Amino acid sequence: MKPLSRRDFLKVGGLAVLGTAGATALTQNNDNQPVTEGPSKVHPSHAMQQGDHGDLPGTVGEVDHEKNGFNPTDILTDFDYGEVSTLPNGQTLREYRIISLNKNIEVIPGIEFPAWTYNGRVPGPTIRATEGDRIRIHFSNGSNHPHSIHFHGFHPGEMDGVPGTGPGGLVEPGGSFTYEFDAEPFGLHLYHCHVFPLARHIAKGLYGAFIVDPKEGRPPVDREMVMVMNGIDVDFDDANDFYAVNGIPFHYQNHPIQIRVGEKIRVYLVNILEFDLINSFHLHANFFHYYPTGTSLVPSEFTDTIIQGQAQRGILEFSYRYPGMYMFHAHVTEFAELGWNGMFEVIP
Amino acid sequence: MTQPTSQPTTNRFTFRTLILLLIPIILLAGVITLFLYTGGGLRLESPAPVENLDVEKYILERNEIHLHVRNTGPEELTIASVIINEAVMPFSVTPGATIPRLGRAEIHVNYAWSQGEAYGITIFTSNAIPFAVDIPVAFETPQPSRGTFWSFTLIGLYVGVIPVFLGIFWFPALRQLGRRMMTFLMAATAGLLIFLGLDTLAEALEVAAEVPSAFQGIGLIGIGAVATFLLLDAISRRQTEITGSETERRLAIALMIAIGIGFHNLGEGLAIGAAYNVGEIALGTFLVVGFIIQNITEGLGIIAPVLRDRPTIGRLALMGLIGGGPAILGAWIGGFTPSPILAVLFLAIGTGAIFEVVYEIAKLIQKDTARESMPITVFSGVLTGMLMLWVTGLLIK
Repeated sequence: MKPLSRRDFLKVGGLAVLGTAGATALTQNNDNQPVTEGPSKVHPSHAMQQGDHGDLPGTVGEVDHEKNGFNPTDILTDFDYGEVSTLPNGQTLREYRIISLNKNIEVIPGIEFPAWTYNGRVPGPTIRATEGDRIRIHFSNGSNHPHSIHFHGFHPGEMDGVPGTGPGGLVEPGGSFTYEFDAEPFGLHLYHCHVFPLARHIAKGLYGAFIVDPKEGRPPVDREMVMVMNGIDVDFDDANDFYAVNGIPFHYQNHPIQIRVGEKIRVYLVNILEFDLINSFHLHANFFHYYPTGTSLVPSEFTDTIIQGQAQRGILEFSYRYPGMYMFHAHVTEFAELGWNGMFEVIP
Repeated sequence: MTQPTSQPTTNRFTFRTLILLLIPIILLAGVITLFLYTGGGLRLESPAPVENLDVEKYILERNEIHLHVRNTGPEELTIASVIINEAVMPFSVTPGATIPRLGRAEIHVNYAWSQGEAYGITIFTSNAIPFAVDIPVAFETPQPSRGTFWSFTLIGLYVGVIPVFLGIFWFPALRQLGRRMMTFLMAATAGLLIFLGLDTLAEALEVAAEVPSAFQGIGLIGIGAVATFLLLDAISRRQTEITGSETERRLAIALMIAIGIGFHNLGEGLAIGAAYNVGEIALGTFLVVGFIIQNITEGLGIIAPVLRDRPTIGRLALMGLIGGGPAILGAWIGGFTPSPILAVLFLAIGTGAIFEVVYEIAKLIQKDTARESMPITVFSGVLTGMLMLWVTGLLIK
């Protein structure tokens, strides 16, 4: 234990007198405080306010989506089905072009994160195909670090995108490689860079969702959305400073997702959070059917909160009964207040 | 013979020397200009931005947190995000989010903090560099009201004024003592002051660590302490030249002791006021009692040099006020506008003053013991003085 200095003692000694006098002053202050609305410094885009009880967590202002080159609102419904053609054997061929680029992304108004991206966005494009399709990913490395693409799903070893498995395992700056495999099994998967140090390559932004639809398709819904849960370590201390869905913290809090009462909603939810062990999704005033990894057409659970570990994913289906504003957020609540918070605005 | 040669020399001196003096300055300006435009061939661009932000003070009001920050880095910086207890909070900055070098700003957050709880705040600049500030115990920051003003006055009274005066009340009794005993008391005062001087210096060093690096806290200690020491020494020498009276001289030393102790108590007041503001004061009435016991010795030190004289009661009271009163002043300053820079400066002045007074007392003792050598008396006196503070310190810490 650190020995007390004379100064420490002074701090302690001073109290006896102030304890009483100061406390009196404090109580008086509290009593005299008029209960009025504090000066409003709240950003107008805040969906909700707490009145006289301080501001809600959130950001001031708006990031420059144009400069970023992507907007999470668009990413939500942006599915990349690729360039479609038919192979001689009758199999559908889907070709995609992905380039890795270094890019500064404004993640919080005023803070730029030097990200590593697929196609200049975080998360990368949502690759979507149907079970049994031939997938061809033309990957080129436009950055100054070696990168790769590692897909989850069935594929030969040399298509695994892991260093040591062949030329596709590590693509040097300026180099390129074409990953080719059949889209299997159906479900919700993901892809990410697998060059080491792995945690840093993922945390910098090299990831995206990979959806394989069943041959006969899923039951129709009114709207489909993809949500990739990620974290942002702006000061590179291997701990996330901000959390988000589809790249930008608080985006869907500042820009609620508009849906209609009774609309059937399907959310493809992927967790690619680094450094933290788990992430979660909680839907307010509602319950959803949950299909872990999307590999079955029968839901495993009817719930309002699910937990996903790193790289876990699943499909959610729900619809709202009543109009109003409804939150969805990580029920790891500290993530919510650090950016992983959004709103559904349900319109009658 | 010297007259004709010295005359032209003087003329040349004013004229040519001025130009000779200016040449290096003009060259310096040239070098700086060259350096600013070309970088002098050095690659001075830092690979990563170097930024520094000091949170000098925080103020808690109902549902509001205000952070007073200063940019002590080499370049301007911009506040981009404020996170309180793992929650990104909307905020505003006055006068603006971009703060120039050594500039100050206030960050305002509407935050529903709770009495008595702890808060960790992280401020991110636009270069994603985090700066942390801890609020160990949250409570409404005392505003300069009549109530808090009186509280700080009271605390200064208890820790400074009352103990010093209690010590001075020994004056009539100690006057009865013999010459050897008085020398012993003088030596004890010197010991006491050495102890206080070390303590003041240590405290100055401790606070210097909190001073933003651009303001060079340690350098401030050197300037304050050395300047005070030399200034007081010069004053004392001039006074000896003017009066030469032993009585006047001893009174002057008593006054200087009072001033030195006054600065020490100012430092204590600052520490108490500042500690109160950040909620670092824990409860304990008995500690104030211990405080009074320890600081009584300060009053004793003030009167020691003038025991054989007959100073007026008014003079004694004045010295008591000079020695103890600054504790009140310190508590006000520390409580309402705590500034580590000011605190370091005051503590440094105290250090210099106290050690100069020790030097003066040493000279007095030397003069007294010229006729009759009393080495053991001086030794035991100094040791007693130091032990007195050490032991009373033990009792209360």
